[in-house]
Amino acid sequence: MQTRQVELTNRYGLHARACAKIVQVASQFRCSISLVCKGRRASARSMLAVMLLAASVGATIKVETSGPDEAEAMKAMVQLIADQFGEEQ
Amino acid sequence: MSFVLHGIGVSGGIAIGRAQLVSHATLEVAHYSISPDQVPAEIERLTQAIRTVQKELESLHGTMTAGDAPAEFGAFLDVHWMILTDPTLHEAPKRTIAEQLCNAEWALTQQLGVLVEQFDAIEDPYLRERKADVVHVVERVLKVLMGKPGRLRPAQDHTILVAHDLSPADVIQFKNQPFAAFLTDLGGVTSHTAIVARSLNVPAVVAMHNARALIRENELLIVDGGRNVVIVNPDRSVLAEYRLRQEELELELAKLKRLRTTPATTLDGCRIELMANIELPEDLEPAIENGASGVGLFRTEFLFLNRDGLPSEDEQFEAYRTVAAGMKGKPVTIRTFDLGADKHKEGLDGLTRVAPNPALGLRAVRFCLAEPRLFLTQLRAILRASAHGKVKILLPMLSSVGEIEQALALIAQAKESLREQKVEFDAGIEVGGMIEIPAAVLSIGAFTQRLDFLSIGTNDLIQYTLAVDRADDAVSQLYDALHPAVVKLIALGIATATRAGVPIAVCGEMAGDVRFTRLLLGMGLLDFSMHPAHLLSVKQRVLKSDMRSAKALVARMRSIDEPAKLSALLDKLNA
Repeated sequence: MQTRQVELTNRYGLHARACAKIVQVASQFRCSISLVCKGRRASARSMLAVMLLAASVGATIKVETSGPDEAEAMKAMVQLIADQFGEEQ
Repeated sequence: MSFVLHGIGVSGGIAIGRAQLVSHATLEVAHYSISPDQVPAEIERLTQAIRTVQKELESLHGTMTAGDAPAEFGAFLDVHWMILTDPTLHEAPKRTIAEQLCNAEWALTQQLGVLVEQFDAIEDPYLRERKADVVHVVERVLKVLMGKPGRLRPAQDHTILVAHDLSPADVIQFKNQPFAAFLTDLGGVTSHTAIVARSLNVPAVVAMHNARALIRENELLIVDGGRNVVIVNPDRSVLAEYRLRQEELELELAKLKRLRTTPATTLDGCRIELMANIELPEDLEPAIENGASGVGLFRTEFLFLNRDGLPSEDEQFEAYRTVAAGMKGKPVTIRTFDLGADKHKEGLDGLTRVAPNPALGLRAVRFCLAEPRLFLTQLRAILRASAHGKVKILLPMLSSVGEIEQALALIAQAKESLREQKVEFDAGIEVGGMIEIPAAVLSIGAFTQRLDFLSIGTNDLIQYTLAVDRADDAVSQLYDALHPAVVKLIALGIATATRAGVPIAVCGEMAGDVRFTRLLLGMGLLDFSMHPAHLLSVKQRVLKSDMRSAKALVARMRSIDEPAKLSALLDKLNA
């Protein structure tokens, strides 16, 4: 299992479209991917669970990946969040 | 306990059946129990509804990416698609159905409640508001579910729909359900509930005020549309009497069926055209079955129902072509979008705005002229369909010559674009206008010089002449087709157009009401267009009418200002 802490730096935090991108990226991998924020845990493949994390801008998210392609999945997730979900600022 | 409720009977006939309560607000759904052996079917119904919405979203996404919609829109659809396909949304309701033995709508609503509560607890106001997306997605699924209510009772039991009010969209969805009757708390004679009930030939009583609160789910009801009453929990003798009357009515209907192929000719040999008003391509079948000599009014607003985007040109073309080809050379009059006022569709994103007075606002042809791209798309689709049958274009709600000229210019532009692309269409396609505003009747002479035909929409003409909102139960009793001013206007319109040699039809509710058949014949009307369900009873009336004697009596009626005298003369005419 791999674990990383990432800070949300995009404008609105995990808003609906950012959540959608997380789900899209997560569904490309086979390993299990969880996000933990403020004590709440969500499968990165469940749109509703990710939305309900309610992670605002500045929040720290713990990403956990576990399974065959966990390293690639972790890299992609961290990249997505670091890239601020490709939003124009 | 047996009791009687009163309302306004807007569609005649008798229905005996059990009540099914329905709410217009999608979130207030009915709750009923199912038996353990119905559980798999109920779960399947939920799965199918979700799949249907999934397909809707996918096809919407397809049309979006093909067109030039903003990227935001596609992203929104992605969000909705992901919410919809998230197992969190449907696993819990499936368990609820199995454990609580309840209907799918109820189970799904429970789960929505759980989710909404979690969203409400979010501190960040921006993120909290995203619950709107979840609600939107669930409502879509609920709409699909309610459009196909589960069979909670055996099919031989007739179901009577009891609702507070029904929107045009609800009513269209209910069209495919075998309801025995409709009851609503709101509404008037020309409300959408009334129009659809008449078209389905099922009784309806509206303006019941508190039927939905007083009637309980599954109670036995007798609905007598002709006498404006509903009997709740009737005793045995009342029930027996009504069953007998019901049989007699059915016998009369069977007799009418024999007139299907008989030409509609008056006693003195005038040939009358009886055409059909249709709302959906599927309405073609009853039109043909009831011997329609054409489609006098093909409403096109259905293309906007249950969708968020705009219908594409190809999708419209397919619908128009189906009807044009289906009528096999008989005329098909396609009315361009009559959007706005009470017909306004929710979800026309970017186009929706709240007008201070929608009936007098941006609707019908005004709306089309303000949205030329939407209008041109429709015109191109209609023109393309004209290569496959005898198609005519009908412009709704004209009030001035300027609007006709603008619309004709756009039609010319649509023709030109098709010519450039070498697409086939009927270059001589006829263009007509609806006469539904008093100003249009009074300027009809100028209209006849620019248009190939005219059609009087009596519902709106009466509404605008009398300043009565036909959907407002507080004033609906003032809505009167036999108001002397209305009679004068219709007579003037028909006479002026006839003198100018321009064919004129009546396509409103009056055309399908046998009480007015002789009145309209007496005004010189030769073309009637009505709901297919009325074609045969109106034909029966025409066969028994004499044009010359009707004209003589109606000539007297035109100059009468006293309502009582007018209605006495109508009785004499109908005797």
